[in-house]
Amino acid sequence: MTQEMWEIKRLHLKPELVWSMAMSSLRLRMGRTLLTLLTVAACCAFLLFLLTAPISDDPADRQMWGLMITLSLIVSAAGVLNTMLMSVTQRYREIGTIKCLGALDSFVLISVLVESAMLGLAGAILGIFAGLLLSVVIGSISVGLGVFTAAYWSGVFWKIGAAALVGLCLTTFGAALPAYIAAKMPPVEAMRGEK
Amino acid sequence: MSHSAQTTDAATNPADYWGADLSQQVDCTVMARGVKMVYRMGSESIQALAGVDADIFTGEYISIMGPSGSGKTTFFNVVGGLIKPSEGSVYIDEIDIAQLDAGELAWLRCRKIGYIFQSYNIVKAMTALENVTLPMLFAGVPPDEAQDRAVDILKRVGLGERLLHTPKELSGGQQQRVAIARAFANQPAIILADEPTANLDLRTGEEIIALMKEMNTERGVTVICSTHDHKMLDISDRIMWMQDGRVKKLARREDVEITISKMKEEGH
Ligand SMILES: Nc1ncnc2c1ncn2[C@@H]1O[C@H](COP(=O)(O)OP(=O)(O)O)[C@@H](O)[C@H]1O
Ligand SMILES: [Mg+2]
Repeated sequence: MTQEMWEIKRLHLKPELVWSMAMSSLRLRMGRTLLTLLTVAACCAFLLFLLTAPISDDPADRQMWGLMITLSLIVSAAGVLNTMLMSVTQRYREIGTIKCLGALDSFVLISVLVESAMLGLAGAILGIFAGLLLSVVIGSISVGLGVFTAAYWSGVFWKIGAAALVGLCLTTFGAALPAYIAAKMPPVEAMRGEK
Repeated sequence: MSHSAQTTDAATNPADYWGADLSQQVDCTVMARGVKMVYRMGSESIQALAGVDADIFTGEYISIMGPSGSGKTTFFNVVGGLIKPSEGSVYIDEIDIAQLDAGELAWLRCRKIGYIFQSYNIVKAMTALENVTLPMLFAGVPPDEAQDRAVDILKRVGLGERLLHTPKELSGGQQQRVAIARAFANQPAIILADEPTANLDLRTGEEIIALMKEMNTERGVTVICSTHDHKMLDISDRIMWMQDGRVKKLARREDVEITISKMKEEGH
């Protein structure tokens, strides 16, 4: 017998590989990464500005404000979701290929999620700084030195938290469904996906 | 010859059917038994494989021939554990691959089988080196060692000067060499190559086939390679003809040489 008997083994998820895959994917698609980053940042900045900027107590004004927040969120969310969706669907072929090389479904899914979460988080951090700056600059026009009072900044940590969460969720949710579909797809089908 | 006649032949004279010298004990790396594959597209269904039986011996270089649409790719995908057949079983070293769970299947794809595709399928965003390193990382080889091994194997396929090039910067032939290096990275038992030369010019194609043959002899890997090109048959140990989702014939090269030269004359 020339043939060695072999024992079937099982591959497990390797967290360090998930991390390096996610990071290299961001690095390799630097153009798109930066663009998404800026979109997320703009979205978070605008949201934070709207949350912190002074508004009059007039109910009509408040309503207007609420509408603006909602609309801007919807527009930027649609933009980010679309980019994430494209970013994953354009990778179907690559995903099929790496599954042939031994990538587990969970590896595919988690590495895309980690990648998106990192992107969302980085965008959110950038956006929070920009939003605070915007709030100070524009706020000082309407309330002058009032922007440096504690009252102006009441609940700011909650607002920052909310903006960060929105940034994180935008990218992660946008990528989750297509990543799940691609991860579950049989490798050959995924490879046919996109040329 | 009709298929039923074929089956009778196989029953009465297996040596003829398998093209094997049955006086010798042979090990089978791949056994396909009654493999059928039906694709459903809405109300229509297409039978791509209509019951394929085949034994593929350890260490041999077997070429699969057959017209387009005869089921070669489907057969490869089933053998490689990339799709599940509608019926029948594939055994790799006597293990029924339908019984494997996701983690085991990933291990099989990673360690046991190397895939080479017609369209190369090199990960576009990665360098040649990264492409070859990746399957080793999946297998759990430490990154430094994986990289050293990837460099060695890329040198072996003649790309020592192209380690850091991305697919964009490589010709088709070079990309296919990367794919070969990647397929061999984890020292698999089986190489499945589906028309690896179809997108290449004749000369480059011959070089690729020659390389695969060298790796086959050097490493004792079983190579299963589908092709349209009769020239490629010269280096195979056995040839399997497929038609309409069935094995039409499976024979040793020595036994079919006359047929091949006749086919060449006829300009096929
Ligand atoms: N994913 C698929 N869905 C539907 N039909 C398919 C699919 N893949 C292959 N087929 C059909 O199955 C048959 C065999 O195809 P294939 O295995 O690709 O043959 P070959 O590789 O020999 O050209 C063809 O009729 C083809 O149209
Ligand atoms: Mg084919």
